[in-house]
Amino acid sequence: MAKVSPLAFGTALGIALLVSITIAVTIGPADIRFDEVWRSIGSHLGIGVSPLTELRDGIVWQLRLPRVLTAAAVGAGLALSGAVMQAITRNPLADPYLLGLSSGAALGAVSVIVLGAAVLLPFAAFAGALLALTLTLLLAGSLGAITPSRTVLAGIAVSALASAVTSFVIFWSVDGDSYREVLSWLLGSLSGARWPAVGITMVAIIVIGVPVMLTGRLLDSFAFGDVQAASLGVNVSATRWGLLAASALVTGAMVSVSGSIGFVGLILPHAVRLLVGPGNRALLPLSALLGAVFLVWADTLARTLFDPREIPVGIVTAMIGAPIFAFLLTRRKSST
Amino acid sequence: MSDDTGLVAERIRVTIDGTLLIDDVDCTVARGSLSALVGPNGAGKSTLLRALTAVQAPASGTVTFGNADLLGMPRRQRARLAAFVEQDATTDSSLTVDMVVKLGRLPHQSLWEADSPESAAVVTASLETVEMTAFREREFQSLSGGEKQRVMLARALAQEPQLLTLDEPTNHLDIAAQLAVLELLSSLRTTGVTVLAALHDLSLAASYCDHIIVLSQGRVVAAGATDTVLTEQLIADVYGVTASILRNPVTGKPVIGFSPA
Repeated sequence: MAKVSPLAFGTALGIALLVSITIAVTIGPADIRFDEVWRSIGSHLGIGVSPLTELRDGIVWQLRLPRVLTAAAVGAGLALSGAVMQAITRNPLADPYLLGLSSGAALGAVSVIVLGAAVLLPFAAFAGALLALTLTLLLAGSLGAITPSRTVLAGIAVSALASAVTSFVIFWSVDGDSYREVLSWLLGSLSGARWPAVGITMVAIIVIGVPVMLTGRLLDSFAFGDVQAASLGVNVSATRWGLLAASALVTGAMVSVSGSIGFVGLILPHAVRLLVGPGNRALLPLSALLGAVFLVWADTLARTLFDPREIPVGIVTAMIGAPIFAFLLTRRKSST
Repeated sequence: MSDDTGLVAERIRVTIDGTLLIDDVDCTVARGSLSALVGPNGAGKSTLLRALTAVQAPASGTVTFGNADLLGMPRRQRARLAAFVEQDATTDSSLTVDMVVKLGRLPHQSLWEADSPESAAVVTASLETVEMTAFREREFQSLSGGEKQRVMLARALAQEPQLLTLDEPTNHLDIAAQLAVLELLSSLRTTGVTVLAALHDLSLAASYCDHIIVLSQGRVVAAGATDTVLTEQLIADVYGVTASILRNPVTGKPVIGFSPA
């Protein structure tokens, strides 16, 4: 099968990401042109003067741009985590959402918000993600040999519990519009994303995501299982737990600003695999790039589809992701 | 320090989940030889092979190759010295043959560097050795059992090992593919690679291997030149079956015939 060159695909995705970000910022109730977006951004970086009125400039710089950038970072982080988890657990159904990490992270995040310790938000989300992952793997292991299907079943159980506790904590602590709050944590929403969210997610991508993207060769060695990886000189347990912890960290950082957005980590690595093949050296960075483009557009749809009402972006990703998940399941029916 | 000594394992003990699987095993494999590790199911052949290359480190004992401490050396260095082909390796991934063989270069490369021309040449040569060059761009999963085994062999050769251990490399293969794999292993002797393979078929072991190590219930019960080790009495003791050692009329090598009990 003819595959797309990873370099060409990466370049195309890089351009698509820049264009998508710019277009996404122009879309919304207030009409702002493509060139106005760049000149506004330029003025805030000290180049030129913004062509926009203070109000419209605020819409670009204070509202839309940070939200779109957060969407890009969250999409990249979730897709990268999914790709890493799929390789290291040899499970094509692995995904931070399906394995319970996202729900665990949301529970961690909501707990510290309720306790008034929002400074700890990313760390609590990370701890929640790691705890949920550990529970899922323990539960899957107690069912027998860890198969992809058992892991997903265990993930559903862990996810259901974490989501229930998250909802309970919110109902118990929030007055007034708690439904909206619950929905945005359980289904994911980027409506509150401002510059601090950009900061948290970008730091996670640069500090953890980029080094993880460089481990493709190590991940490839797991294609035939632990024994072969070990025979190739790989420290199997250190690599496995190190990369799973890194995935949990990235997921935690993303969920702490966006709630648990599903299926991004599942479907985008599969899409990249179809296009460029299974080698993880190309797969990891390309999944991150495609995840960024994907979530920018999913979030744009979420905020404009039923304008002026906004839907949680997780609804959009689930509408697209769930059928693909079902398709992946049917393809695997022989080896469940 | 390296010399012409081959593989020397002493007092190897392996315990898994509290069960003693390998009990105080000593064995040697001469440098540049092709040796067979035989024994009934459950004798501990796979466990011993994994212990020898520290894929699953033994509880105690020493393993040296050319007097270099195989268990104590850094794992990447060990992977450049010793390769292991596991039994029935499978993957869900749609890796191509080329990508599978390239995995063998992992111990020679840093994570970040691009594939060097030298590395590419080793991969090409390994594919040529196993006569799978034409299959380079094929998907590994689409290959037959014999072809897969040859690719796994090429992957091991791409590690440029001095010691190659294989766990039942002829398992599930038709007789032509079994002979092809053994011919290949046999031909590696000319390159100086020391080969130790776990085998089930005693006649094949007898026709191709210089030495034989017989494992039973986690202990070595016999070891040495194939002709002297493989006796009707030993086969009766180890496998509990009645065997007759015949001679292949063409090669003169031992052939084992079995009689119903």
